Amino acid sequence: MSTLIGPALAADLRRRGGFDAQACMGCGYCTAACPLGIDMLPRRLFRYVLFGMDAEVRAELETVFSCLLCRACEQSCPAGVHITDNVRTLRGWLLEEGR
Amino acid sequence: MSATRSPEGSGTNEPRLAVYVCQCGGNIGDYIDTQHVIDVVRDLPGVQVARDAMFTCSDSNQQEMIDDIARESLDGFVVACCSPKLHTFTFRGVAERAGVNPYRVTQVNLREQCSWTHTDDPAGATRKAIRLVTAGVARACHGTALEPVQVSTTPCVAVIGGGVAGMRAAIGLADVGLDVCLVELEAELGGWTGRFGELFPRGVSGRALVRRMRQEIASRPGIEVLTGARVVGKSGTYGNYRVTIAIGDATTERTVGQIVVATGFDAYEPVAGEFGYGSPGVVTLPEFRRLLDETDGPIVHDGRTVRSIAYIYCVGSRTDGHAYCSRYCCSAAAQASLLVADRDPDLQQYHLYRDLRTYGRNEVLFGESRRRGSYYLRFADDDPPQVSVDGEGVSITVHDLLTAGAELTVAADLLVLVTGMVPRPEDDLIAALKLPVGRDGFLNEIHPKLRPVETVVDGVLIAGACQAPKTVAESVASGMAAAAQAAAVLKRGVASLDPQVAIVHDAACDGCGECVAACPFGAIALAGSDGHAVATISASGCKGCGACTPVCPIGAIDLQGYTDEQVRAMIVGLLDGGVR
Repeated sequence: MSTLIGPALAADLRRRGGFDAQACMGCGYCTAACPLGIDMLPRRLFRYVLFGMDAEVRAELETVFSCLLCRACEQSCPAGVHITDNVRTLRGWLLEEGR
Repeated sequence: MSATRSPEGSGTNEPRLAVYVCQCGGNIGDYIDTQHVIDVVRDLPGVQVARDAMFTCSDSNQQEMIDDIARESLDGFVVACCSPKLHTFTFRGVAERAGVNPYRVTQVNLREQCSWTHTDDPAGATRKAIRLVTAGVARACHGTALEPVQVSTTPCVAVIGGGVAGMRAAIGLADVGLDVCLVELEAELGGWTGRFGELFPRGVSGRALVRRMRQEIASRPGIEVLTGARVVGKSGTYGNYRVTIAIGDATTERTVGQIVVATGFDAYEPVAGEFGYGSPGVVTLPEFRRLLDETDGPIVHDGRTVRSIAYIYCVGSRTDGHAYCSRYCCSAAAQASLLVADRDPDLQQYHLYRDLRTYGRNEVLFGESRRRGSYYLRFADDDPPQVSVDGEGVSITVHDLLTAGAELTVAADLLVLVTGMVPRPEDDLIAALKLPVGRDGFLNEIHPKLRPVETVVDGVLIAGACQAPKTVAESVASGMAAAAQAAAVLKRGVASLDPQVAIVHDAACDGCGECVAACPFGAIALAGSDGHAVATISASGCKGCGACTPVCPIGAIDLQGYTDEQVRAMIVGLLDGGVR
């Protein structure tokens, strides 16, 4: 099943909380650094946001709320992505619009 | 001009020689008993010193050779080791440092032609080695000192192709005081760069760059510009070539010392249907650049304002038939997306790539493009995007490796195929100059690292994207490199050529002309006075191939370094070595 990609979701999240998914270059350092071993966070999740894949983001509700916001991933990120801020923004979106 | 011949050691006086037999580590020593070879050849006429060595080419052994030459007052030496292709110049260098004429060095190939071919028979290999070294000593006994052939050169360079590489080469050559004949096929100078607007890096327009270079060329009287012109022929010899140039129906000739080929590239033209090419809304990168360069404001294509653009990278590069990377296209597409973002920040841009090679400083373009909103999606080599075109626009389906291989569909108003460079079909020029062409169709240099602008054709240099895909900056750099190489030869005014060329013994020659017909380089002519025409060989035209010597019915031609006397002595040596 192919997903038609569009900018609406990323634009919405950028307006809400300065979501900066675009800066992510998909290296995976964040995943390696996560003390919970959450393999979804954040690179694939951010791609879903970038491409407006609403359903795929909603399906990760558990993951998004499992995050400890410890910032270990941000310490490791070579691209300086504000990962925990993005997670907070995503939580807000999921609470208000995501269900 | 002809090579001179020194009388010393010319066969009548027995020369004083050393013989070195190399073990080449185990390459020779594991199969040939080098000590036995030395013991046998030690007593040959002329041999004053004979020894073997683990590596004769090593620095320490070279110094021992130099010491032997001084202590024993040697005239030359025989070194039995690898192929002359590998170490001729190494051992000629040893001779020069020891004050001995470098053409008094005889190299015997014991590795490729003996030990490597007879690994199953060490005793037989050793017997063959004795024959080969005996023949080498015999040849050396009849060797003579030779001096390089000196030819005066014409201080003018033909530059073929008036794009950035050729223009920059012409300017550089004029600035060191050489005349230039710049031959351009089109009606005006500039090539590809002259058609483009802003180029990476730094965003200066190609048109402005070319305008400035045209002015620089116009201000240099030493540069003659021929437009609408093509080179159709070349004759003459090293340092003094006659090039024939066709302009319309007329032809003209120029005498030049060197030739720089800078004929550039063609843009890859996709076949109909390749990623939707030929359908409305699908364009190549050069076509898209023309659209950007010739319009202002919002991007409009086919009368419609473009709201989204997709780029597919590596079209016509890194594929069957075009195995190479075209180098410039990743950076050019990233830069085009920035030009688009300047004009319409809300326009959506999707880049579908295989691998991004925005190398060096161009990485900044990629980062900036992402920061300004371009999306980058990566597809697998064996899973290219599928394109379908309908009235509404272009729909591209891709498995994005950066989104766990998810199948995504991009709907775009315009699809840009990021096409690479292909070689120009310059068959006539390639035939006229005998240019070496690589497997990919681009012209070949001698050595990609150390001799990047020289070709195997003496006096013919290459520059710019006729050699391989290059950016503007890289083309200009290679144009300047070619100018420096041409100037390095021509500013001396004379060129030194290999003296191992054919000579005619005038008194013996009866002017039959057999050799004239045999010479593949057209270097022999019949000339003379008093009704006695003899063959005359141009020392600069002769390549020392030896085709003329065996056809002479009366043996009046000798190839210096391989004279009949030397070859006869070698044959005797080969036979003689068998009974030792």
